[in-house]
Amino acid sequence: MKTSPLPRSPKSLVAAGALAAVLVATAAAQDSQDSQHSKDPRLARLDPAARSLVVVVIDSARTAGLPTEPLVQRALEGATKGAPGTLIGNAVRRLAADLGRARAALGAGATPPELEAGAAALRAGAGPAVLAQLRRSPRQTITVPLAVLTDLVASGVPVDSAAAAVLALAASSGDADLIDFRRAVERDIALGAAPTAATAGAAAGFLAAGADAVHVNAGARDARPGRP
Amino acid sequence: MFEDRPDLVDRIVSHLRRPVQIDAALDGRVMQEIAQVDTGRRPGAAVAAWRWLIRPRPFAVSPLGALAMAAGLAAVVWALPGRGARAVPPAADAPREFQFVVVAPRATRVALVGDFNDWDATRTPMRASQRGGSVWTAVLPLAPGRYRYGFLVDGSRWLADPAAPHVRDDEFGAPSSVVTVGGS
Repeated sequence: MKTSPLPRSPKSLVAAGALAAVLVATAAAQDSQDSQHSKDPRLARLDPAARSLVVVVIDSARTAGLPTEPLVQRALEGATKGAPGTLIGNAVRRLAADLGRARAALGAGATPPELEAGAAALRAGAGPAVLAQLRRSPRQTITVPLAVLTDLVASGVPVDSAAAAVLALAASSGDADLIDFRRAVERDIALGAAPTAATAGAAAGFLAAGADAVHVNAGARDARPGRP
Repeated sequence: MFEDRPDLVDRIVSHLRRPVQIDAALDGRVMQEIAQVDTGRRPGAAVAAWRWLIRPRPFAVSPLGALAMAAGLAAVVWALPGRGARAVPPAADAPREFQFVVVAPRATRVALVGDFNDWDATRTPMRASQRGGSVWTAVLPLAPGRYRYGFLVDGSRWLADPAAPHVRDDEFGAPSSVVTVGGS
């Protein structure tokens, strides 16, 4: 039997060794990168079963180009609150799905905070059309309008009323004024007003307010720490 | 005395009768000398100071000195209000301080936990009010966004913020609140 001779020249041996070293180093680096991505050290607070569930969801979200930090935070919330692993896994999976729906409604250019706020708005009951309408408003970011919409719905305001008010205000009001609007609605509801009436009344008041009044209030707000 | 020399007398007389040429600036010089004569009356300090100020003086400066003065003048002009470094308004995504307050009677420790601190109960302990002790506060810088949070009392009891919207989709059986931080 005749065997083919192995390369004997020193140059061939050096080239083969270098190629092997590069391949091994690349594989090791890729492995390390994957390991770092899917094994966020913060997730060590989860029990192993929950962690494996969450890691799968986070990896899928990353592959889909969705923000992963909200998923990590939701998992950590569950861990701190002592929730069972399956509950944590389901919550993270549901949030990932909502983030995907939010991106579909807001477009690929949406920022992570916008996607997170959009996911909460969708969960609250706002339709994708409302998110798309807000996207078209002349604002740099629509994170706060989405959050205010979500909070209004959580306060008992019907989705349609909340969406109409936020859409009307988002075109001309700043973030601080939208947050003040939400506070006004919540205050009126707490005082006994019907949620729809409270929303309509507060929106009318804010839309009728002059630019000077808005500016003065904004200046007063800046002078002290904010409140939720 | 000169009776015996009438020619000499004539010469002296003719010399004295010749017209004398007087300097045109004599009047000015004379008046200046008169002004400087000490008459015994001292001018007031204000008058003296004014005279000192308005008296012209020769002034000379080297090129290097002139450059130094120009640089100093430029620095002063640059430092005037409205020039140079201006007060920059905070960026839209700059963190803002938020104060969280909760009333928790009989609590021995309260922690603020949320999306802003990885839900880590050790990161943001709240401080009890110096007056009572049942009012707990924490101030935290937050960048624009929407955050879920809650208060953990004595390491086991969860409280939502009564002054903030509650999370509607709480999935873990413990209440949470939401804070929205605007950027404009």
